[in-house]
Amino acid sequence: MKKFLVTMLSLVLMIGLLTGCVSSNSSSKSGGEDSGKESGKDGKLKIAVVPKLVGIPYFNASEKGAIQAGKDLGVDVIYTGPTEADAAQQVKVIEDLISQKVDVIAVAPNDPAALTPVLKKAKEQGIKVMDWDTPADQSVVELSVHQIDDEAFGRHIAKSLIEKIGSEEGDIAILTGGLSAANLNSWIDGAKKELDENFPKIKLVSDKIATDEKQPVAYQKTLDLIKSNPELKGIMAYSTIAPIGAAQAIQEKGLQDKIAVVGTALPKDSKPFLEDGSLDVGILWEPDKLGYLTVALAKDLADGKKPENGQEVENVGKIEVWEDGKTVIMGPPTDFTAENAGDFNY
Amino acid sequence: MKSILQSKEMSIVAIVVLLSITLSFVSPAFLTFENIFDILKGNAVLGILAVGMTLVIITGGIDVSVAAVTTAVCVMAGKFLTVLPDSPISILLLFIVAPLIGVLLGALNGILVSKIQIPAIVVTLGTMSMINGIILYLTNGTYLNSTSFPKIFVDFANFQIFGVSVIVFIFAIIAVGTWYILKYTVIGREVLAVGGNKESSIRAGINFDKVQIFVYGYMGLLAGIAAIAQLSYTKAVDPNGLLGFELQVIAAVVLGGANILGGRGSIMGTFLGVLLLGIMQNGLILARIDIFWQKVVVGTIILIAVSYDQIQYKRSKDKLAKIEVEA
Repeated sequence: MKKFLVTMLSLVLMIGLLTGCVSSNSSSKSGGEDSGKESGKDGKLKIAVVPKLVGIPYFNASEKGAIQAGKDLGVDVIYTGPTEADAAQQVKVIEDLISQKVDVIAVAPNDPAALTPVLKKAKEQGIKVMDWDTPADQSVVELSVHQIDDEAFGRHIAKSLIEKIGSEEGDIAILTGGLSAANLNSWIDGAKKELDENFPKIKLVSDKIATDEKQPVAYQKTLDLIKSNPELKGIMAYSTIAPIGAAQAIQEKGLQDKIAVVGTALPKDSKPFLEDGSLDVGILWEPDKLGYLTVALAKDLADGKKPENGQEVENVGKIEVWEDGKTVIMGPPTDFTAENAGDFNY
Repeated sequence: MKSILQSKEMSIVAIVVLLSITLSFVSPAFLTFENIFDILKGNAVLGILAVGMTLVIITGGIDVSVAAVTTAVCVMAGKFLTVLPDSPISILLLFIVAPLIGVLLGALNGILVSKIQIPAIVVTLGTMSMINGIILYLTNGTYLNSTSFPKIFVDFANFQIFGVSVIVFIFAIIAVGTWYILKYTVIGREVLAVGGNKESSIRAGINFDKVQIFVYGYMGLLAGIAAIAQLSYTKAVDPNGLLGFELQVIAAVVLGGANILGGRGSIMGTFLGVLLLGIMQNGLILARIDIFWQKVVVGTIILIAVSYDQIQYKRSKDKLAKIEVEA
């Protein structure tokens, strides 16, 4: 019996190993060619793009852009990341990439501080390190690709909400994906600044409310919010999932005309809510362009080219570069409304 | 009267009542018909899964793959729904297909646990990881939303009886049904017997393997039904929406007075455990407690509830031992 158990266990472990192979295979497959094995023999640059997690619509869209850029520019793109938004798993992914000897690693950190040691290690091995989507520790990266100017973005969202409420006073609430997400926090800070400076009569009913990047949680918490604050006029929802959950609650309670919802949502998911007004406007950038820009700039970085302010990047547009020479801003945000939501396929 | 007061569910009833009284003072919105049924609706998925988990935990097992199985059924049933016609038969089909997929996945756990005798936590960790991986591979994280479902399903999801959502009724039927199975059927008594003392129950002629396959299969069945509840609740398929949910399910069962090592547990207790978790989540927002403190409060209440229950249980056991010595 014991022997049998041992055999079974080793079998299970073997299967585990195999599944591991399969998943790493598929991720490098999605990165174009079989890049893991012939390490740089063909002379092609290998650029690794690491999202916060794989398997959510937002990062799937940016993957499409990144892969497309790889094809257009003739570089190998490896798009791989953890299956959960978890810093420790992300460290492991980067360790793997270092041993694959890629040329550039572009990462969207789940927790900037947790990644600093492994990014330093990558640098020591001669790998160029940059961040995208969310800033990493600025002392280790050579380039920082931002989709947006965080403060301006936050301000834009706050202004849109006020516009949708149609009055400059009243109670509002803020939903967020997670309390420790650096980019969400800086947008929220930007929005709060805008409210403090220009709309002093707008009152926040509570501190920002975390929704764990999950739609049912956002839905539930919005229901609770509506109940405890019958005078609520508007909701700002940050993270691509939270606005959908909030809009669903508004839709169900039929409060489309009473409560305005503005959030950082993707157009395809939010279309049904935009159409009946439960979500007033979705504000975001185009994630596929961000993926494209990341790869394009990574290639320039490996070639030793620095980005310039006002530079025209093909298929993306004019980019803005800050005075430090490494912070790149992709451009102004895109508003998704009931009219244009159908034009996007993410 | 005394026996009621000392029953093991009493501690958690006390905490639920205390919490409710406090909350209704803090926020007038708490003790309203609408809010109470919103809490029940919001926690129906948790409740259905916790009821199944109670059986598993009574036998001394554990199933950490519940959230993954539920998501798998959600994804498959969601895909299935998109091709179904807009007629009542679709709902009927859904109620056949979803539990069936659940039972199959659950029975797989049961067979591995009972026939090959791998510890339950290892088996279910394995299946959890496999199922999660397959879901991610198949869906690539894409959502399905209500626009792709037939209208009849949306109507079903919004259906109310006396102002109470159909989801709450599903939960109630499951809870009462399982309570009946546990109390009045042979297999239910066998589950309790195995949990109480495995060796003696086997000697008494209970087929241990059968009981194990039953509890895991039943867990799978309930996961299938929970998936229907989840689909109706969110009217969308979110492949990541239940990630890590198994911990809440297990927490609810343990809060309800079940012994994680097996032998002790009741449907009533689990229901109260679910209610306590639900009220806490709802109440902390209604009471406008600072977000960072919410987690601290949740942890504290859980610790108080479980320690109170454990102390009560130990005391009653001590008394039992003393009687034996005197006699």
